[in-house]
Amino acid sequence: MILSFGEICGSEKQDEILAGLEAKINGVRAAEPLDTGTVIGAFDRLAWRIEAGEFDALIDSLGLDAAARYKAQAVCMLRRESLEYRLRRELPGGMGGLEYEAPPFGLQGVRAFRLPLGTIFHIAAGNVDALPAMALAEGLLTGNVNILKLPQTDKGLSVTILKALVDGEPALAPYVHVFDTPSSDVAAMLKMAQMCDAISVWGGDEAVQAVRRMAPPGVKLIEWGHRFSFCYVTGDHTRHTEELRALAEHVAVTQQLLCSSCQAVYIDTEDPAAVRDFCGLFLPMLQEAIRAHAPKEIGMAASLTLRRLTDEVEAAITGGSAQSDGTDLMGRLPVRALPRVKLMEALRKRKGRLQTAGLIADDPQDGIIDILTRAGVNRVTGAGEMSETFQGEAHDGEYPLQRYTRVVNSRFHAE
Amino acid sequence: MKLRDRLFSYKDPYDLPGSDPLFAEAMREACGYQGAHNEEYARILAARGFSPEMITGPESLASIPVIPTAVFKHHRLATDAGLAGMISVTATSSGTSGSMSVIRYDIGTLWQALKMTVRVCAKRRLFSLKPCNYIVFGYKPHRGNRTAVTKTATGATLFAPALRRVYALKFVNGEYEPDLEGVIEAVQKFAKSRFPARFMGFPSYTYFMMKMMDERGLSVKLPEGSLIMLGGGWKQHYREKVDKQTFYALAERVLGVPENNIVEFFGAAEHPILYCDCPAHRFHVPVYGRVIIRDVNTLEPLPMGQPGLVNLLTPLVKSAPLLSVMTDDLGVLRGGAGCPCGCGGPYLEIIGRVGLSDIKTCAAGAEEILNDT
Repeated sequence: MILSFGEICGSEKQDEILAGLEAKINGVRAAEPLDTGTVIGAFDRLAWRIEAGEFDALIDSLGLDAAARYKAQAVCMLRRESLEYRLRRELPGGMGGLEYEAPPFGLQGVRAFRLPLGTIFHIAAGNVDALPAMALAEGLLTGNVNILKLPQTDKGLSVTILKALVDGEPALAPYVHVFDTPSSDVAAMLKMAQMCDAISVWGGDEAVQAVRRMAPPGVKLIEWGHRFSFCYVTGDHTRHTEELRALAEHVAVTQQLLCSSCQAVYIDTEDPAAVRDFCGLFLPMLQEAIRAHAPKEIGMAASLTLRRLTDEVEAAITGGSAQSDGTDLMGRLPVRALPRVKLMEALRKRKGRLQTAGLIADDPQDGIIDILTRAGVNRVTGAGEMSETFQGEAHDGEYPLQRYTRVVNSRFHAE
Repeated sequence: MKLRDRLFSYKDPYDLPGSDPLFAEAMREACGYQGAHNEEYARILAARGFSPEMITGPESLASIPVIPTAVFKHHRLATDAGLAGMISVTATSSGTSGSMSVIRYDIGTLWQALKMTVRVCAKRRLFSLKPCNYIVFGYKPHRGNRTAVTKTATGATLFAPALRRVYALKFVNGEYEPDLEGVIEAVQKFAKSRFPARFMGFPSYTYFMMKMMDERGLSVKLPEGSLIMLGGGWKQHYREKVDKQTFYALAERVLGVPENNIVEFFGAAEHPILYCDCPAHRFHVPVYGRVIIRDVNTLEPLPMGQPGLVNLLTPLVKSAPLLSVMTDDLGVLRGGAGCPCGCGGPYLEIIGRVGLSDIKTCAAGAEEILNDT
C-alpha cells in the first residue's frame, strides 16, 4: 500500500506516483511552511485515538509480546506534552529565528534560523514495530516533507496509523508519503533518493552501505546503524543479585534484538576464576528468565534453536565446546574478563558501534563512567534498563530533531 | 552404496511405506560410509554418541545427528574419498543470506540423481519429444556462476528439445540485470509459434513478468502444451509472495497456461532431492528422501500437521555428509491420503523462513562478537 497526499492506493501505482512526486513536493515546499503547533496537535489527537483503542485490533494482530506496554508507551510519546518536551530539550532555540547575540570585539554577526532539511527519505527498519511512525513524527515535527519506505516486516500498521494522522489533520497530508517498495526495487529507491535533501536510514551494515552507494553526492546521510551494547560489572557481583536478575530479564525480553540490548558482559577482573564464579551465579538466572519469556513467534524461536544447533555441530567439528548447555539457552551472551585498565583499548575496537553500557558497580562514581564514555559509549544505564526509553535522550550521541534540521543564516534580517 | 542405488531404482517414486525399510538400510549404509571417510562427520557422530548401527529401522532415523545447512556455509565438510578419481559437479546454494555453501557431487551421486529426476518428471509427464521454446527465469550460465538454481533451470531445458532459450537475468558488466522487457517480447513471439513454450526458474520473476504484462493490458494464448516450471524459491522476493491461486489465475489470464500446466520444484544444494508438485500442487515426499518436522524449541519430531523446522534426510550423496540436514525453512507435513493426485503419501508445505534477518535487529553482529573478543 502507498499513502501519498492523504490518499491510499495500491503498490502497483508506485511508479506513476513517483514520476510526478518531486514536482508536487516542490509545490508544497514553495508554499507556507508547516507549523510545529499543527503537527503537535495532530499527533496529540492521534495519541488519544490510539489510547481509546481505535487501532487495538491491528496492534493485537501483530502478536507482540508486550503489546499493552508498547501501546501505552507510544501514546505517551506522541502526546502534546512529550513532543513539546522533546522540542525544548533537543532544539532549545526552537524552530525558526534563533535568538541573536552580538559577537565580541565588534566582529560581524548574522541572524540564524533553524529550518527543516527539506525532504527526508526515511528507510525504516523492522525491528521495532512503531519505528516507521516515530521516524515520521520526528520528520514532521521539524517541518520536513517525508518519504517513508516501510520495512518488509511492516504489516499495515504504519500506513493505517499515518492515514489516520493525515485524515485528522489534512495540513500534514502533503508532507507524508509512505511506500511499501521492497529494497530490491532499486530503480524506485533511487528515484526517492534523488528527490531528497537527506536520507535517514535504519538498519544493518548492508542496508547502510547500500544507501551510501545509492545516495547521490550532496545528499545528507543520517545513519542509524547497528550498535553494540554491553554490561560492565565492577566490584563484587554477589552484592548485586537484583541487578543481575534484571539484566537476565532484559536479555530475555529484548531477545538481544535491539541496539541497546546487552550483547556481552565484561567483568572488571583479570581472574578467569572470577568469570566462572559470575557465570555460576548468572547462568541459572538467565535460563530462568529465558524460560519465562520464550519467544512466542515461531520463526524467532526456530531461528534461536537453529543457531544453537549450529553452534553445537560446529563445536563438535572444531573440537571446541558448545556455547550453551544445549537445553534452553537462546541467545549468545559471552562473558569475558576485561579489567578497566584495558577497557579503552578493547572498546576502541568497536569505534562507531558503541551505544549503551549497562553498569553494575559497587560505586558508579569511582570514575568508571568517564572511562566508558571517553571510549565512545553514548549511554550509561542500569543493567536492567538498557533498552528502556528515556524522554529527551539523545540517540547514538545526537538529538534526532537536530539531525533533521539545518541552521540558515541571513544578512538581510535585523540583528 | 549398493542400498542407495537400489533405493534410487525404486519403482514407484511415492511409495513411502513400501520403501521405508530399504530407506533406513540405505541411511545406515550412508552413515557408515560418511563416518568412516569423513573425519568431521565422525566427530559429529561421536559428539552425539551416535553410530551407524543405531539405525535399526525407519523409527530410528530421527536420532541421526542433524546438520543445519548453515554449517555447510562455514565448513567445507566434503567427503573426498567419495570423489576420488571421478569427475564431479559443484553446486552452490544461491546464497540469499550472503554466504554460500559449496557442495561437490561425485559422478555416482549424479547418476542416481539423474535416475530420480527421470522417474519423478516422468510421473508428472514433463518429458516431451516436441521441441519447445524456453524462457529461463534465472541466470544465463557463465563461468562465474555455479548456483544450484542455474543448473536446475538450464537442466530443465533438456526435458524437451529446445528451439530457443531466452534468459530473464542477463550478466552485464559483472552484475545480473533482469531483462523482463526482453522476456515479454519473447513471450509475444513464442505465442505465435506452433511449438509450445516452457518457462523455467524463479517464481518471483515469473510473477513480476506476468504482473507487468497484466498492467499493460497484454495477454497471449501460448500454444497447447505450454508449461510453467517454477523452482528456486521466492527468496529475496518473499514480500512479493503471492498465494498460488492468484498466480495460477494470472497465468491463465495473461499467458493462457492452465493451472494443470504449472509445475513447481523444490530442492537445495544441501538436499539435492527433487521435490516436484503433484497436479494438485502438493509436494509429496518422494521415496529418495524423508522429512521430519521438528519442534522449534525442543527439536523433537512433531506429528503430521504441526509446523516446525524442516529436517530433510537422504542417503543420496557420497561426496558430502548430507544424510540429515536442517534447512532454515519452516514447514508442515500433511497426510496426503485424500489428495486427488492419488499418490497417497504425505506432502511437505513450506510456510516460511526462520526469522532473524538483518531487518529484525539493530544489534551489531553477534558473529563479530564471538570472533573478536
